[in-house]
Amino acid sequence: MATEKRNKEEEEVKTDDGSPKIKPRPIVQLGIFLVAHSPVFSVVFSAAGVLALLILPLLAKNTYISENALMPGSARSMLSNRDVSDGSKLVKDIKNYRLNHEGQGVEVQKLVGKYMSEMVAEVYYQKFHPEGNQFHPLHFFSGPDSYTLLDNVSCASYGVNVAGIIRAPRGDGKESIVLVTPYDFINGGDYEALSLGITSTLFSLLARVTWLSKDIIWLVADSRYGDYRPVAAWLSEYHSPSFKVSDLLKCGERNTADNFRRAGTVAAALVLKVDGRSERFEDTLSIYAEASNGQMPNLDLINVVNYLAVHRQGFYVKVEKVVSLLSSSWLKIIGEIFEAVGKLAHTLNPDWNFGIPVADYLEGSATLASSLYSQALGIPTGPHGAFRDNQVDAITLKVSPRFPPDSKTRQHDFFLRGARLLEGTIRSVNNLLEKFHQSFFLYLLTSPSKFISVGVYMIAFALLVAPLPMVAASLYIEGCKALTKSTDNPTENLKSWKWLDAAKQVFALHLFGFIVTLLPYFICQVPGQHSPSNRSIMWGTTSSSLLLITFAAIPGCSPFTSRHHGTHWAVLKSVTISAAFIGLCLMSIINFATAEIGALLLVPTCLMAQPIKPALRSRRIKSMLGAFCSMVLLTIGFPVMFFAISKGLFGEGLVGLSLGGEFWTWLESLWAWKSATYLYIGMVHLPCWLLCLCILFHPS
Amino acid sequence: MAHHCCSRFLDLSRFRVLKGNQVISCADILSAMLLRGIGQKLQMAYGLNARLLGFLKSSRDKVILPCGDIAALVYLWNPFTIVSCVGLSTSPIENLAVVLALFGAVTRRVPLAAFGFVMATHLSLYPATLAIPIIIILGYGLDAPPIKLFLQTRSVENEKSSTSTVSKQAKSKQTTHLPFLWKTVAHFLFWVLLWSLYVLVLCALSLNKYGGLEEMFKRTYGFILSIEDLSPNIGVFWYFFAEVFDFFRNFFLIVFHVNVLFMLLPLVIRLKHRPCFLAFVYLAISSILKSYPSVGDSALYLSLWALFVNELIDMKFSFFLFCGYLGISLLSPVMHNLWIWRGTGNANFYFGNAIGYACFQIVFVVESVSAMLNHDRALRRSSSNHGEVKS
Repeated sequence: MATEKRNKEEEEVKTDDGSPKIKPRPIVQLGIFLVAHSPVFSVVFSAAGVLALLILPLLAKNTYISENALMPGSARSMLSNRDVSDGSKLVKDIKNYRLNHEGQGVEVQKLVGKYMSEMVAEVYYQKFHPEGNQFHPLHFFSGPDSYTLLDNVSCASYGVNVAGIIRAPRGDGKESIVLVTPYDFINGGDYEALSLGITSTLFSLLARVTWLSKDIIWLVADSRYGDYRPVAAWLSEYHSPSFKVSDLLKCGERNTADNFRRAGTVAAALVLKVDGRSERFEDTLSIYAEASNGQMPNLDLINVVNYLAVHRQGFYVKVEKVVSLLSSSWLKIIGEIFEAVGKLAHTLNPDWNFGIPVADYLEGSATLASSLYSQALGIPTGPHGAFRDNQVDAITLKVSPRFPPDSKTRQHDFFLRGARLLEGTIRSVNNLLEKFHQSFFLYLLTSPSKFISVGVYMIAFALLVAPLPMVAASLYIEGCKALTKSTDNPTENLKSWKWLDAAKQVFALHLFGFIVTLLPYFICQVPGQHSPSNRSIMWGTTSSSLLLITFAAIPGCSPFTSRHHGTHWAVLKSVTISAAFIGLCLMSIINFATAEIGALLLVPTCLMAQPIKPALRSRRIKSMLGAFCSMVLLTIGFPVMFFAISKGLFGEGLVGLSLGGEFWTWLESLWAWKSATYLYIGMVHLPCWLLCLCILFHPS
Repeated sequence: MAHHCCSRFLDLSRFRVLKGNQVISCADILSAMLLRGIGQKLQMAYGLNARLLGFLKSSRDKVILPCGDIAALVYLWNPFTIVSCVGLSTSPIENLAVVLALFGAVTRRVPLAAFGFVMATHLSLYPATLAIPIIIILGYGLDAPPIKLFLQTRSVENEKSSTSTVSKQAKSKQTTHLPFLWKTVAHFLFWVLLWSLYVLVLCALSLNKYGGLEEMFKRTYGFILSIEDLSPNIGVFWYFFAEVFDFFRNFFLIVFHVNVLFMLLPLVIRLKHRPCFLAFVYLAISSILKSYPSVGDSALYLSLWALFVNELIDMKFSFFLFCGYLGISLLSPVMHNLWIWRGTGNANFYFGNAIGYACFQIVFVVESVSAMLNHDRALRRSSSNHGEVKS
């Protein structure tokens, strides 16, 4: 792309100077050819980009275990009936306790702690404060925030985590593996207690095995205030202890001041949850891997769990998918076409085996869509997200048993298999000599055993954004020519600096986007309780008045200025497209999925944007159609509008008047989770959208 | 919570700004003022030369841009300057020393030029290359079009005005080269010697207890030359020297450092009539091939570049380079985050970015130099046209 741009300039120089034509090099010729035919190529490349996205499920590879040290399933399980009975006893005790003492969470915690200490584990309790979701402009991309305690904490709401550590007989205490079971001590259901049972079974085994070389930490997270918060609080205390004595410690009867224990760097973490009944015949294991900002754990961790669950313990393993896509007819038609093409290719050459059945294709695309969606949202799909923020590979395993929670006989078998799965995984991770690094960090899943690596999915994105520099180059040349003709004023005759005016406008609007992005922070500071819709109205009015001020303050910035002040629209569009290109490329590195979805929206909008006045004046069907298309794209591209449309598509119904409020709530969730998607919307999408609007109403 | 955090952060940063940044921001402002002074001198010289060559009278359209103001603004508003100022880097002080040396040379304050030169060399060693441009400035004077042009113009005028009265002898006597002011240069060298002695004595006195001058040379110049610190920066050396085998290390150290010296001579031959521009080129090259470069160096050479807006107005690829600098400077923190913070990337991500940055800098320097040479060529072409029209 860089060469194209340079080529463009070389071409421009030649035309400007009229110097003797030297035959350019082939790559230069190719660049000139691409730039000269940019409309055709941009259509071709964009279509290829969309096609490549649709074809991705076909290109998925089977996962394989990359790190040799892992050796999953090579050791025989040592789990005995005694361990299982330990686990069952804990579950039974908890149930009894809850029947007898309604609403006394503290006692259940004590009970769990007692069980842990009976297994010769070091037990401690950690109090934490459930934090409200607040917008903080400086929290994006920062590491885990140091969990600063407020001075005026109320003792009314706080949670208590219970953690136990088994020291490894063969270890030096420098590494550890964490098991997390979120459990609501006050009103946890029967299924949730099963997860405690499985982990307790495993813990009882691990307490007496000799092969451990990494310490095991079992964290029972108090999930009264959500799954994520307690784990994040524990992790931040684990990694960055606060030495300030907080008032929280004085709450409750137990003093938890200085008994927090640690066990070396965390090599991996597994979060176990037991959910409601499985809909299938087998027990179901769902794997959740997406952490904040589309980060994924190392693929090897998923591979190990998947391998053990499928080949050793006979679980049905699944990852999240968009169910509505499974029944969509258009995707089915595409799948059928691909299948037919695959079959045809197979008949031509038996080595070409890229065709997959329609059902597989549908499954793959539904999973891929879900994977993209959760990565793009940037919100972790479970408590494992807190680990990823600390650079620890972690996944959440959600097990759904096929029996009702009170069936004793089935429960024994279920505990045995669940604990064996965890045991095998821990044994594999225990073998590791260094951090997970062999396998992929950047990938998309299309099924638990299939993945698309970064090298493949980047092609789709690259094809999609490839037209941007080409069109920018051709527009730049066009605009420069037009400007050279039109300007008689010698002071403006700065040959190669004609883009400065347009750049000023683009910069002003990006600055505006930046301010709009930060506005919610100040709106949150407005005293008094406000409903989300009120806040969104505040935001909207402030932003639009700011926009008006921007237009008024910077001459030539607004689309409504006179013709002589403004820059030529082609140069403006060229600079806009360059800005969009830089923004999208940047975002593709921060969070690929956001950039891909954003590019699907932004690329056509930017490419189609044209002044509407000449199109209407000319009264030709082609230009009228172009103007219409760009108007439709701009309407869809407005973030609120896109939010409403996607909500409608997901079948939640159009929301009407409360739309602003819902949008606000959605954005609030984004910034509460430090999602870079929020920054993208505010600082790339919105300014580019506004610039396209300026181009649309450009007086030329 | 958020408010608390924020206010704490603000307090902290305000405190830091107040304490450490005062010196650095003063240095930045002073550099900008000196740049403005240099720019005014250069602008005057440009106007004078243009008038001598007869461009300014004939075509009113040529407006001289106030390059000093532009350079000062470019220096102060450059995000690189702001970042290095906020980050409490020492590069503003090094930049100040360099700008001081140039200012002294341009305004012909020889002791000042020597002082700036000695300080800059003492602080970061690489400005030692500036000795050549400073000597040329002091010896031959400020940036001007090639001497041949003046001779051409004058001879054309002579032919026109006096056909026979001026004897051929006088014509041949017309100097084909400017007089070199040996006295000023010797003066400069003397002051350099004096100032370096002064600095060394001061250093020796203050470092008496810590191993003396030898230790200082080892820890400062030795540290720069032997590239001991391999922590990632925006340069390209750290990666290479982290990879290179130990027994080749010395060889590659020599190769990499010779790279900077290699270009000094060809450039001085080609650009000897434009010593200030030569200083810009040297600084840009050394900031690419430095062992520990920082964005502060880029800030300096970018603002020096702005001193030549009048000549470089037709520079090619300006938009492309602008986009490149912008993209790279946004991308590098992201890559760093991906590698260091998130752990999902690796060193290659960040190093790729550094290579891209180096490439853009090279394109920038090459384009600037070729734009300057093109400018000279255009001057020659137009002056010969001018002459033809007149005669």
